[in-house]
Amino acid sequence: MNPLSRRACLSLLALAGLSSLSIAQPPQPAKTDGGGIKQTFHIGYSQCNRGEPWREQMDKDIKSNAAKHAEIDLQMKDAQNEASRQMAHVKEFINAKVDLIIISPKDTSLTPAVAEAFDAGIPVIILDRGLEGDKFTCFIGADNKLIGAQVGKWVKETLKGSGNVVELKGLSSSPPAADRSEPFRAAIKDTQIKIVYDADMEWLSDVAREKMQAALSRNPKKGSINLVYGANDPAAIAAYNAAKDAGREAEMIFVGVDALPHEGVEAVRKGILNATFEYPNGADKAIDAAMKLLMGKKNEVQKKIILGTKLFTKDNVDKGGEEVKP
Amino acid sequence: MGRSFTQRFLPRRDVLAAVGALVLMLTLGSIFNAGGVFFEPSTHTDTWHQNAAMGVLACGLTIVILTGGIDLAVGSVVALCAVVFALLILKRDPPLTGWLAIPLSLLVGIGAGAISGSLIAFARIQPFVATLALMAAARGAAKWLTDGVKVQKFPYPPLIEALNTKIPIGPLAVSIHIPIFLAIAACTLILLRTQVLGVRIYAIGGNEQAAHYSGIPVRRVKLLAYAICGLCSGIAGVMFCALERQGNPDGGVGYELTAIAMVVIGGTSLAGGRGGILLTLLGCLTIGYLRKILDLNSVGTPQQLMITGAIIVIAVLAQGIRRRDKSA
Repeated sequence: MNPLSRRACLSLLALAGLSSLSIAQPPQPAKTDGGGIKQTFHIGYSQCNRGEPWREQMDKDIKSNAAKHAEIDLQMKDAQNEASRQMAHVKEFINAKVDLIIISPKDTSLTPAVAEAFDAGIPVIILDRGLEGDKFTCFIGADNKLIGAQVGKWVKETLKGSGNVVELKGLSSSPPAADRSEPFRAAIKDTQIKIVYDADMEWLSDVAREKMQAALSRNPKKGSINLVYGANDPAAIAAYNAAKDAGREAEMIFVGVDALPHEGVEAVRKGILNATFEYPNGADKAIDAAMKLLMGKKNEVQKKIILGTKLFTKDNVDKGGEEVKP
Repeated sequence: MGRSFTQRFLPRRDVLAAVGALVLMLTLGSIFNAGGVFFEPSTHTDTWHQNAAMGVLACGLTIVILTGGIDLAVGSVVALCAVVFALLILKRDPPLTGWLAIPLSLLVGIGAGAISGSLIAFARIQPFVATLALMAAARGAAKWLTDGVKVQKFPYPPLIEALNTKIPIGPLAVSIHIPIFLAIAACTLILLRTQVLGVRIYAIGGNEQAAHYSGIPVRRVKLLAYAICGLCSGIAGVMFCALERQGNPDGGVGYELTAIAMVVIGGTSLAGGRGGILLTLLGCLTIGYLRKILDLNSVGTPQQLMITGAIIVIAVLAQGIRRRDKSA
């Protein structure tokens, strides 16, 4: 049997299997209100890289929010950090004729694939990273610049306008690194707050620990570092560990960004970090928007939804943090 | 056998070059002393502390490299052993005591090393390929065991803190990681210098065929070499877990390359059969001090990487090492 005919046979078999499935499960009856809206909504969801803890949390949140709506049938896919794989996901969703697509794209290379789905009449919600053009239904994302500015504001207030700060920055080639750093620096610019050491920790906790050790050596006097800003929570926690190894953790304040429930927030609860600012994943908003779109309330969904941030400190952590007004 | 016996005694030139590289580094540190910080004793204990776990990896790698092999999987195995250890002491209910959790984690390392070793010795897969495969598989296992999430718990449990104990020596607080590293280095040194296995490792690296014809059980020695390297990765994994106070399935990426750089900069030949632990010790300190000096002076990452590349080339050129022609 040549490969082609084998493939043909296989697809015939698959077709037979599929058709027997649809016979076994008769299509759900259409709802009458709202002009024939289906009762089961098939949502295709594609994550670019589940390997990152923040995205893993996004997946969990999408799943738990979708589970609140019995009519949602969620299909989850993980592209394992490969753009081409994620393009294939979108194609598969189009072929499966899903009712809506939620995608957290790897990068802008997903633009044509998403446009194809959009042109085919499937509403597409984009999470976190933006695409080119406007062939999508809704973009939901957080704003690192806003978070950077909020950290700066908080640091200024906490240090009462003067003190020595160590800044552990993210990987310089990734845009969030500058976005979390520059507005932070702008916010403390006209104060007596000095950045006494800064370094690129590449988003990695082991690198952050090493850089913090150097910061401690460079500023050996007790009390010569008042605050450490880690551009993500793992870096801030690693800095705490390095300070603890030097017996100096009590003399400084540690602030991080991301506020994952089992990482930054838990570290705040246990007094390791003094504060963390949430970088929200927008999963709840995405499911909200999806339901509105599927119920035919398209005009209630904005094209671009920019998420705010939440501050977690020891005082508010048990109340689930506090929204920060820009 | 006679040839490999003389090979155990290092040519003076290699030692001189490795000491020279370290002296050069210390001189650079004295010149660029970051306002005197380099002369603080704590800077030096910090440097040793930071590089102790990496040094343990380098000791294991030295043994494998002496057989003419390579182990690219050590970084992934470090992550695997670290998450196994973290799971046993943080997530298991009730948590295992250190006396059980540590040997179990080390066993995972030995097992991983034995898998590469058997693939290389018995299935005759090239070391680069076999350990490349294990590098992927061990990373996968670490992610699978943890669901891709870091294993951590606040506040840190007593065992983690115990593994970060500092011993006061005079005005200094010396982390127990430093004596652990030195003990591992001493054990591997004794193994290579005084044990039959050590002689055989050098012999295989020098000339595998000759070693085979002279009755050395080449396969078994290779298997053991990789298992010992796995054991070292396991020890380093527990040390990293303690340092980071977490088991990170994404940790240890690229550690194999840093550890290989430490071995090579010391002067152990990648062709096998030439080099040793003392050289690796010097290589560890050279790379460790290099990183410390660059950090102390707030040198940016781009410059750090370029300088590191240049230092490796200079050090290896100074060794005058040329690839040995094994067929000769």
